[in-house]
Amino acid sequence: MAIEYFEPTSVAEAAALAARFGASASFIAGGTDLVIQMRRGLRHPAQLIDLQRIAGLDAIAIAGGQIRIGGLTRHRAIERHPYFRASLHALVESAEVIGGFQVRNVGTVGGNLCNASPAADLSPILLVLDATVHLAGTGGERTLPLADFLQGPGRTGRAPDELLTAVSCAVPPPASATAFIKQGRRAAMEISVVGVAALVTLAADGRCLDARIAVGAAAPQALRMPAVESVLRGAALSEAALAEAGRIAAAACAPLSDVRASAAYRRHLVRVLVPRALRRCVQRVTGVTP
Amino acid sequence: MNKQPMSLLINGETCAAEVEPGRSLLDLLREDFGLTGTKVNCLEAECGVCTVLVDGMAVNSCSTLALQCRGKSVTTIEGLSRDGHLHPLQAAFIEHGAVQCGYCIPGMIMNAKALLDEEPDPDEATIRAALAGTLCRCTGYQKIVDAVAAAARQMRAPAHQAKMAAGAGGA
Repeated sequence: MAIEYFEPTSVAEAAALAARFGASASFIAGGTDLVIQMRRGLRHPAQLIDLQRIAGLDAIAIAGGQIRIGGLTRHRAIERHPYFRASLHALVESAEVIGGFQVRNVGTVGGNLCNASPAADLSPILLVLDATVHLAGTGGERTLPLADFLQGPGRTGRAPDELLTAVSCAVPPPASATAFIKQGRRAAMEISVVGVAALVTLAADGRCLDARIAVGAAAPQALRMPAVESVLRGAALSEAALAEAGRIAAAACAPLSDVRASAAYRRHLVRVLVPRALRRCVQRVTGVTP
Repeated sequence: MNKQPMSLLINGETCAAEVEPGRSLLDLLREDFGLTGTKVNCLEAECGVCTVLVDGMAVNSCSTLALQCRGKSVTTIEGLSRDGHLHPLQAAFIEHGAVQCGYCIPGMIMNAKALLDEEPDPDEATIRAALAGTLCRCTGYQKIVDAVAAAARQMRAPAHQAKMAAGAGGA
């Protein structure tokens, strides 16, 4: 089938093209998911709308206590960003395990989120950061909490004519640290078997002021774990408390068995990795192993 | 079919092509330009064997559409040697016996070139992390890592730097 190819140079032009063709069109950024899906016969777009010539959508801005990452930002740019490397470890740890260099050089934040894989590596940490998704379509711009944007495997709150222009979140509070741990079957070019992101904020007395946990690839979409978080808030983060957090998280997730792992193994990983991610956060805040 | 005209730089030469929008860069390089050094393997962006450089960055040519490279500069394994002289990476792979069946080697070398262009003095962990995106099914990774480290040393040497400055060196 002949595909039509468009190279808009503005968000408005891209949205207008998408509105004109509706569900038969697809945006393309890095192409690392879409081109493979097309080759496998899973997607048959009649029109491709290439977003890479739209200027200004690949910026990372940190100002006024807010972080804003443009939708066309490449994973490699996140991985190498000095602020993230110094202060938001989990975001670097999430970006640097997406494929190899060849995928991260072209794959984008917007593509990772819009593809809406339950195993998308960026979803857990962005959920932990209470990220907001910025969408622009022919009807104007709007924002959506990421937790509402992600609606299941391959499903998002994006309308067909809308582009994901940016994702934003607040800078974590002082005395906070983040961590992301991905379990795959090999070290690189791997889809997560389970991924766990955490943020811990400690009070002056060393107790947990705030804890946020999200788990990827252990349910139809990446999930925050409010039941775990409420138990940890105000508690001393003892080994017993961390182990209990792991047990609650394992009970709260809803993993599948598939070619990569059984549901039971995924649940086991959640039980082990949630305490490990929390411990790593505490270690990063205090500089010592709890 | 719905072909679109495009031009791009391939190994420094301006090339024109008529391309169907769904065609991959890999297919364009091999079928239209006869550059069969870039190998067809998994076609799923998993193995990195089809790696080429686009504007200096390593990419999987199987998951890159040809039209996405309009106006860009593509470098393949064929573009590394100059005037009959192998690129230091190519020479180091031969010298260290880093090649077994050979099928992943063009992708491995292009991936290594992107690394050394960015990071001329990588430690072993950095080399291994960079090469993780290209799989060698013969599993001869140690010699590959040794070859990349040796090439890096040679490329940092004054003689190579002087040759590059004089414009006679490899890409």
